[in-house]
Amino acid sequence: MPQFDPATFGSQLFWFGVIFTLLYFVVIRPTLPKVGKVIDARETQVASDLDRAEAAKGSADALRAEHEAAMKAARDAAQATVAQAREAAAKAADLQLKAVTAGLDADAETAAASLALAMTSARAGLESTVAELTSEAVARLAGIAVTPADVSAALAQN
Amino acid sequence: MANPMEQFKIETIAPLSAGGFDLSFTNSSLWMLISLLAISAFLFIGTARPQLVPGRMQAAVELLYDFIRDMLRENVGKDGLRYAPLIFAIFIFVLSCNLIGMVPFVHSFTPTSHIAVTFGLAMIVFVLVVIVGFARHGLHFFSLFLPEGTPLFVAPLVAAIEFLSFLSRPFTLAIRLFANMTAGHVLMKVFGGFVVSLGAVNIGLGIIPLGVNVALTALELLIAVVQAYVFALLASIYLNDAVNLH
Repeated sequence: MPQFDPATFGSQLFWFGVIFTLLYFVVIRPTLPKVGKVIDARETQVASDLDRAEAAKGSADALRAEHEAAMKAARDAAQATVAQAREAAAKAADLQLKAVTAGLDADAETAAASLALAMTSARAGLESTVAELTSEAVARLAGIAVTPADVSAALAQN
Repeated sequence: MANPMEQFKIETIAPLSAGGFDLSFTNSSLWMLISLLAISAFLFIGTARPQLVPGRMQAAVELLYDFIRDMLRENVGKDGLRYAPLIFAIFIFVLSCNLIGMVPFVHSFTPTSHIAVTFGLAMIVFVLVVIVGFARHGLHFFSLFLPEGTPLFVAPLVAAIEFLSFLSRPFTLAIRLFANMTAGHVLMKVFGGFVVSLGAVNIGLGIIPLGVNVALTALELLIAVVQAYVFALLASIYLNDAVNLH
């Protein structure tokens, strides 16, 4: 195996040393830390951006809560106003209804009174008419002269 | 059939020697250099103008870097993030060396299929762990070898075992990566040989190992990525010992 030929070790190790030294000091050292710095800068930037986003989210949440509270207060106030208005309207309607009812009752009463009056006067008129008719009928049928007053008296007797 | 070990042969491109050592520029060096160039292109384009909202290339770099950082955060903790560039360097070097050997037709070579390279990588991790351990905890770092609550009469035995297992880490790291890459490449070469030898007998017969090789290619790509991940993961677990002492 050529790998175990010690005659080549010197040159391999020498050139490995030269090339690896070049690699580390000429290639890696001037380039890689730049990328490392950028990676670190990016990490801090991302972290600070995340922090800011978190803070913004917190203030947005606070604003939303505030807004919701304001909306709730306004809604409650509006509901209270509506309820008050409804109550007042109901009360007014009730009062009006009562007044109208009272007026109607009074009308009905006067109507009933005048009806009763009319009925009594009608009944009185009826009695005299009946007495007249009866006396006339009695005079025609029986030939007896009876005055309406007698008829009325006889009716009152019964 | 071609020797399946031939693909691992180190070929000198430009001879070079210093102080009696052979330091020639070889095909292994060439493909490590190509890996380096590919990584450079990826990183320099990806980080040319880093922006808060990344473009495609920056997003790709960030994806890999975040992957390593998350791994360190998980296994080591916040203190581990300091070592992210080094662990990233190890990860992307292993990854690109593993993958670059899978490029067909260009006579590509997998530097991480050689134990010398993987041992070099493992030694970086080992030395890092030792330096970080002593720098952070001083001599207290030795308490790593004595887990808390060990009964006194087994303490010497436990300490010896822990010490040996600590010393064996670079070897297991190196051998795991090298063996995985070597075994996969040998298997692909063997089945590639079967395609030729069976295809010579009957063209229809050659289809079977070809199908196997297609599946093996997918498996090898997976192994290339997984082994890079395993290497970086173990490096961060070992680093955790040095940073946090169990």
